[in-house]
Amino acid sequence: MQQSAKECGKPLVRIRGLRFRRGERWIFDGLDIDIPRDRITAIMGPSGTGKTTLLKLIGGQLVPDEGTVEVDGQNVHALSTAELYRLRMRMGMLFQSGALLTDLSVFDNVAFPLREHTRLTESMIRKLVLLKLEAVGLRGARDLMPSQLSGGMARRVALARAIALDPMMIMYDEPFTGQDPISMGVLVQLIRQLNDAAHLTSILVSHDVAETLQIADQVYVISDGRVVESGSPEELGEGGSDWTRQFINGLPDGPVPFHYPAPALSDDLLEGARC
Amino acid sequence: MLNLFASLGAWGMASLTRLGRAHLLLFPLVRGLLDILRRPRLLVDQLFSVGVLTILIIAVAGLFVGMVLGLQGYNVLSRFGGETALGFMVAASLVRELGPVLTALLFAGRAGSALTAEIGLMKATEQLSGLEMMAVNPEHRVLAPRFFAGLISVPLLAAIFSCLGVLGGWMVGGGLLGVDQAAFWNGMQEGIDFHDDVINGVIKSVVFGFVCTWIAVFQGYDCVPTSEGVSRATTRTVVHSSLAVLGLDFVLTALMFG
Ligand SMILES: Nc1ncnc2c1ncn2[C@@H]1O[C@H](COP(=O)(O)OP(=O)(O)O)[C@@H](O)[C@H]1O
Ligand SMILES: [Mg+2]
Repeated sequence: MQQSAKECGKPLVRIRGLRFRRGERWIFDGLDIDIPRDRITAIMGPSGTGKTTLLKLIGGQLVPDEGTVEVDGQNVHALSTAELYRLRMRMGMLFQSGALLTDLSVFDNVAFPLREHTRLTESMIRKLVLLKLEAVGLRGARDLMPSQLSGGMARRVALARAIALDPMMIMYDEPFTGQDPISMGVLVQLIRQLNDAAHLTSILVSHDVAETLQIADQVYVISDGRVVESGSPEELGEGGSDWTRQFINGLPDGPVPFHYPAPALSDDLLEGARC
Repeated sequence: MLNLFASLGAWGMASLTRLGRAHLLLFPLVRGLLDILRRPRLLVDQLFSVGVLTILIIAVAGLFVGMVLGLQGYNVLSRFGGETALGFMVAASLVRELGPVLTALLFAGRAGSALTAEIGLMKATEQLSGLEMMAVNPEHRVLAPRFFAGLISVPLLAAIFSCLGVLGGWMVGGGLLGVDQAAFWNGMQEGIDFHDDVINGVIKSVVFGFVCTWIAVFQGYDCVPTSEGVSRATTRTVVHSSLAVLGLDFVLTALMFG
């Protein structure tokens, strides 16, 4: 924590010149992002732009081809395995699917990181787990198995598990996708509350524009491996490029065409007639 | 033609790198012993699902194989008036060959495929990634206990197979076909050598257990994380394990009895 104090004014996560390739395709091509402390920073972009990939790069699960990722002053990809694991204990990640361990109950899932990384007694762990479950409103569901949970509940359990070790930051991967309006509202509120109550830094990856703009303090929009727009939600709503406006307002046609590249329709149809 | 060579080369490279990855996986598996020593519970749970749940199929199969051996052995031996050697014949076939080999094949089909599917599904549902992000190494935490459980289980299962096989042979030979009971057991006792037969059989089943579990764990961990990828990996586990067991059996037999 001394390091945090020293680095206090600086952003918690600082990404510089990040390049990352999958096969022949550059997913990221010179990405610069700063994630300030104690805020909710949203990273938005269409599906397949590499939002999940970005979170995995920050968590050290993937290694960039070029560029650096610093978390709390430490270059994630220069750390030894032991140091990386120590850093990860201070990061929580909420996977798109929840990623709960299917052979453990809700209670044991939330208790899992505590049992792995602390020497707390069982009675202490029980209290902590119940408090975390209370925070996400699922104390009553502690004996259920993950297969018995709805998608929204599974995500809330995963959230309780992610905050079990009181991390300094949480990364949310598409927390709203596939949620009904009520669980969506619940999650929106939870993310905001957790961030403000526990002085967490939150990174929220999403393409659900309305919900994201509603809670984010700062937004980055990425497309084609670069940041195309950044600023507060208000700034993004007002101005911005054609592309951003299309994305934010969900217009079917614009700089991102409705049609996948193809020859003219008339040519295609005539072609078929000739054969 | 050039294409053929190119795709052959690509296939060869892919197979070789996969073989390399499989060998590299052995280091974290062994390193996982530390976690197991700290928390034996991890191993015990896996011993149950990998080993104990396989006992029934092994026991039933052993019994039937022994009964067939008793029947066939009696038919052949009685032609030369050698029925008294039936006990020895049944026991030797089981302890030297059928016990280790059939146990390993059944293990690959029952437990190996389940291991691959379980690990593959954990990968496909991001549970392994989730563990990594919780600063828990899935190779130590998930793979190693399963690997050692298989390594320990297979020799024990092979022993159960052989014992029940002998019992089956005795039921048919001594019970149905009226071979002299004393001769049956005596012949076995005198014919079977502890070192040559029992120890060599145990060595075989340890090797088979290692190979089968290693293949199962690796295929699950290395699979393409989709439903199709998991199903392919499961098939590969059974096919590769069976071929490896039969091939290695020849090599080991040649070394031991050749
Ligand atoms: N394991 C992988 N191997 C190869 N390509 C991948 C893999 N994972 C993701 N990709 C590709 O990387 C791109 C970004 O994926 P992802 O980060 O999941 O996007 P997002 O989360 O923004 O929808 C996609 O085009 C996807 O096809
Ligand atoms: Mg994604």
